[in-house]
Amino acid sequence: MTDRTPTPFILDTSVVTAVARADPDIMGLIQGYDSRNQPMVIPALAITGASLDARSEEADELLAGLELLDNVTVAPLNGAEQAARLADVIARTGLEPWDGHVAAIADVAICPILTLNAGKWRLHVADLDEPLHIIEIADPSE
Amino acid sequence: MTITVDPHLSAYAEALVEAGHAASVSAAFNDAMAEKAYRDRRRRSLWKAKADEANPGRVSRLMAHVDQQLAR
Repeated sequence: MTDRTPTPFILDTSVVTAVARADPDIMGLIQGYDSRNQPMVIPALAITGASLDARSEEADELLAGLELLDNVTVAPLNGAEQAARLADVIARTGLEPWDGHVAAIADVAICPILTLNAGKWRLHVADLDEPLHIIEIADPSE
Repeated sequence: MTITVDPHLSAYAEALVEAGHAASVSAAFNDAMAEKAYRDRRRRSLWKAKADEANPGRVSRLMAHVDQQLAR
């Protein structure tokens, strides 16, 4: 029996925005992964983007609640080097800062990005030195 | 227990004591932790209430679709 830690998922701004909008199925999905001990990383700027979208006290409570899940880590933007690296990623991809932070972390950590909007990401898969690995959250029956 | 506190927060706690809004610096930090514990409990309850409204069948299909993509 192996004791392997799963590769972390990076949640993009679309997924975090769904939480801010209290989408129960996406919240159930995240809670399900948390109970499976699946590590999840949320770039801090994805939370900023989601909060800007929702603009409500309840949304910010839900976003703060994400950080309380056992297997969720909020990745900060830390220091001048990371800030400049983010600027480079934004310049190369044309992404907004929120998903630029997602791409910057995915590029460094070589982890898949979970998104509700794979179409947008497909335009940027090859923008950085290493291809981005995009996983779409979708219900095939819809 | 020994803790290291950021200087600006330590200064604020001391100001609360001087203004008579806290009995001591320790009491000020106790109050802050009690407030955080309350907020965290409330956030967990809110999360649970919303996530309990999820459609389990749809969540299972979403997870299966993610698993399929990871297996490629």
